[in-house]
Order: sequence, then structure tokens, then C-alpha cells
Amino acid sequence: MNIKYWLDLYVVLIKSSIRSRMQYKLNFILGTVLAAIVQIAEFLMIAIVLNKFGAVKGWSLYEVGYLFAVMTLSKTLYRTFASDVHHLENYLTTGELDQLLTRPVPILLALMSQNIRLMPGELLQGGTILYWSMHGLITSGQITWAALPYTLFIIVTGGVILFSIGLATATIGFWITRIDELQTLTEDAAQTAVRYPLVLYPVWLRSLLLIVIPVGFVGYVPSLFILRGEYGAWLVYGIAFLAVICLIVSLKFWKFGLTRYQSTGS
Amino acid sequence: MLYFTLASKAYARNLQYRGAHMLHNLASALFGYLYACIWIGIGADRPLGEYGVQGMIGYIAFTQASLWITGFITNGLGIPQAVRTGQISLDLMRPVHLFVLCMCREWGQIAYQFVYKSLPIYLLYMILFRLSLPTHWTTLLYTFVALAASSYMSICMNYLIGATSLWTTESNWLFWVNHALVNLLAGFFIPVEWLPSWLQTVSWMSPYPYLLYVPTRIYLGYEQAGSLLGSMAWCIVFTLLCLLVTVVVRRKVEVQGG
Repeated sequence: MNIKYWLDLYVVLIKSSIRSRMQYKLNFILGTVLAAIVQIAEFLMIAIVLNKFGAVKGWSLYEVGYLFAVMTLSKTLYRTFASDVHHLENYLTTGELDQLLTRPVPILLALMSQNIRLMPGELLQGGTILYWSMHGLITSGQITWAALPYTLFIIVTGGVILFSIGLATATIGFWITRIDELQTLTEDAAQTAVRYPLVLYPVWLRSLLLIVIPVGFVGYVPSLFILRGEYGAWLVYGIAFLAVICLIVSLKFWKFGLTRYQSTGS
Repeated sequence: MLYFTLASKAYARNLQYRGAHMLHNLASALFGYLYACIWIGIGADRPLGEYGVQGMIGYIAFTQASLWITGFITNGLGIPQAVRTGQISLDLMRPVHLFVLCMCREWGQIAYQFVYKSLPIYLLYMILFRLSLPTHWTTLLYTFVALAASSYMSICMNYLIGATSLWTTESNWLFWVNHALVNLLAGFFIPVEWLPSWLQTVSWMSPYPYLLYVPTRIYLGYEQAGSLLGSMAWCIVFTLLCLLVTVVVRRKVEVQGG
């Protein structure tokens, strides 16, 4: 069984997961519209402030919009294809992981194809803000259209980094079972932090977001090159290399954690 | 007595998870810290109105800590779950009004969150940002009344959100929209007077400013007790709405079968 076999299987599983989601059409449409409203309200919060007061530590509203959009789109990529990695706690507390263990597919593949979550609301919001901010930056001459392929590339590498952080956090669940609180710290708070330029934060927090939880490499670090021409194109490729390293390390950690899995007594 | 027992049970149930909640407090405190950093950055080279940088840090610290008793209320007061499991039919049969039953449980939850979340988070900010308490005891008293009113309004809002699940079985998204509106219109991150004028109008036509903005302004000494009248008016409106909705709910209930 080669990689193609597993990929084909993944596609089949995802298709059936989408079909099951579409059984509740009204819920899906309502959820999509309201998710977009929620996301836009979040961006409005900072947009109103920057519109009133101007740039923050040298970062314009368009630049902050760019960071915001890249993070939203990378997160959408991660949460669409690995929704239940984020929700591993449910499997651990109910013992449902046992069912997945009996399937003749790798456990992570089984988990990733469960309950696939289409997130058009987030895609719409992220896409709109990205278009708006890049249009503004191109019109002002700060960037050219060449920034677009780089941007699409870093959205993917960002998705990989966020997946790696999410998987590593979920793996800790094999020891401590309840990971909800930890996820709030390593995923929610960290992702919120890097929607704004890291220069706003003190050195200890910046280091934390670059070294301990490397979420700063999703949007902020690559944007230094893409938006401001600092360092050089190698920065983007370096981040891709880092994303692969993060992925390998988190997969190895996941494999190790799985050997420590204890089912529930109920 | 029954009402107190309902509330104290909810309080006691939460006590079991104190350790995990303390870790969660760190994350919550971090959120407020991030927002404070943004205001420090914005205020680095320009004045921030009547607040100033230190005032805005105090503002964010207070709204972030208050969020645990005015914003983070149980989704739909647990009604959506009761609808899905069929438990709602039993709840309606009890010799207690459904609204009062849900409300008492939630007051226990709020009391717990006040003691184990709001207070520790605010204490941390007091040390971290060198914040000081109001000098006059009446300010604290009015703040307490304003916060109690905003908690009550939040309970009512979530009761109404929960009640919609009798028609839709799912009110999760409504809960999150309400949360987004709290962030934007209640003055959580931006004081209401700094919103664009049309959004200010929308905000003041809604109950949202009374959830966070008014209690915070009272606490910081920018508003007097007179603003509490608005809170009280909204509390009355919401109470009537909740009682009315319960009448409709009683006629609508369908048992899902668990």
C-alpha cells in the first residue's frame, strides 16, 4: 500500500464526511453566514481602532489586515482538514478512540477524515480581507502582484505549522486527557496574538510566539519579506523548511503519544 | 431556599475543576494582556482621549475580567442540550418556572466564575499593570450593581438564545454571534464613544453597552449612578421577554427521543 492508496482512501472518506454534513443544509447555510458575521466583527474591532488612530508601531491598517487574513486562511486550512485532531479530547474522554484503533487505516488518517468541517464563512471573510488589504497595498505601491504567489504559499505553510502545533497539543492529551484549557493557550491565544504585529509585544512574549509555539512564522515573519522587502525570498523558503520540520517532529510525537493511550473505564 | 440550592449546586459542581480553570485563567489573562499591548502600542505616540495609556490598560483589564460574569455564560443556559436529549420535557414538568430554574443554575455558575476567574484575573492585572482600586466605596457599590444587572441581562439573552433551539435544535451559532456583538458593541476592546457614529447609534439602541461599557465607566469613575437606570430598564424588558417566551415554549416543546 503506497501513498497514493492512502490519499485515495482519504479522499473517499472526506467525500462521505461532506455528504453527511450536507444532510443538515439549513444548519450549514445558517452556520456559514453567521460564521462570516462573527469573523468580520472580530476584524472590525481592530479596523475601527486603526482607522481612528492610524498606524500602530509603523504597521498600517492594510498590513494588519494582511496578517489577520493570512492567519484566518491558514487556520481555516488546518481546521477544515483536521477538525477532529483539535477535538481529540472528546475521543479520549468517551473512549471513542478505541473504535478508530480497530480500523485498518492509520489512526491519524481516520481521525482527520471524521467530521470534516467546511468553513466557507471563514474562507469568505479571510479572502475578502486579503483582497482588500493586498489591493490597498498594491495601489499604494508598497507591493506588486508578485506578492500573491508568495502569499498563497505562506497560507499553506502556515496551515502546516498550525496543524503541527495542534497535533502536538492534542498528543499531550494521551497523558493528561483534558486538553481544552491547554488548547486555549497554545492555539486560541497564540493565534489571536499573531494576528497583530509581534513588535507590539515585549521580548519574552515575542520569543514565546517564535520559539516555544512557532505561530509567529505563520503570517508575521514571512510578511516582513512579502510586505516590507526585508531579509529576502530565502525567508519564505526557510519557513517552508521549518514547517516540514515542525510536521515531522509533531508526527513523531503523536506516534509516541499513541503508545501511551489508555482507554476509559466506562 | 430551593433557588439557593439550585445555585449552590452549580457552584459546587464547578469547584471540582478548579485546577483546570486556573490554567484557563492564564490563557484568559493572556488575551487581555495582548489587547493591553495593542493599546500601549497605539498610545505610544498619541494621546488616548480622556483615558490615556494607563487608563486604557485599566479599561481593558476590567472588561477582560468582567467578561467571565457578563460574556461567558453557558450557551443557551443548557437549553439546546436539554432539547436534544429530551430533558426539556422533564424540566418543564418541574414545579419551578423554567426561566427561574435555568436562571438559578446560572447564578451559581456566575458566582463561581466571579470568585475563581474574574477576581484572580483582575488581581493579576493589578499587580502586573500597577492598577489601583477606586478610592470611594460607593463606586465599588455602583459597579457591583451594574455588574449584577449585566450578568442578569446576559442570563436573559442566553435564555432567549436557548429557547430558539426548540425550533432549530441548534443555537450554537446564535450564541457566537451574540459573543461577537458583545466584543464589538459592548465596548469590550473599544470604548463605545470611539466607534463610528452610526455604530454608536446601533450600540446605544441595543442593551450591549450596559453589559461591559457602563460598568467599566462607573468603576473607572467616568460615570455616576444615573447610568444604572438604563441597566434597570433593560433588565425589566428582558424579564418580560423571557416570561413571554416561556409561554410560547410550553406550547411548542417536542420530545426528540434522546
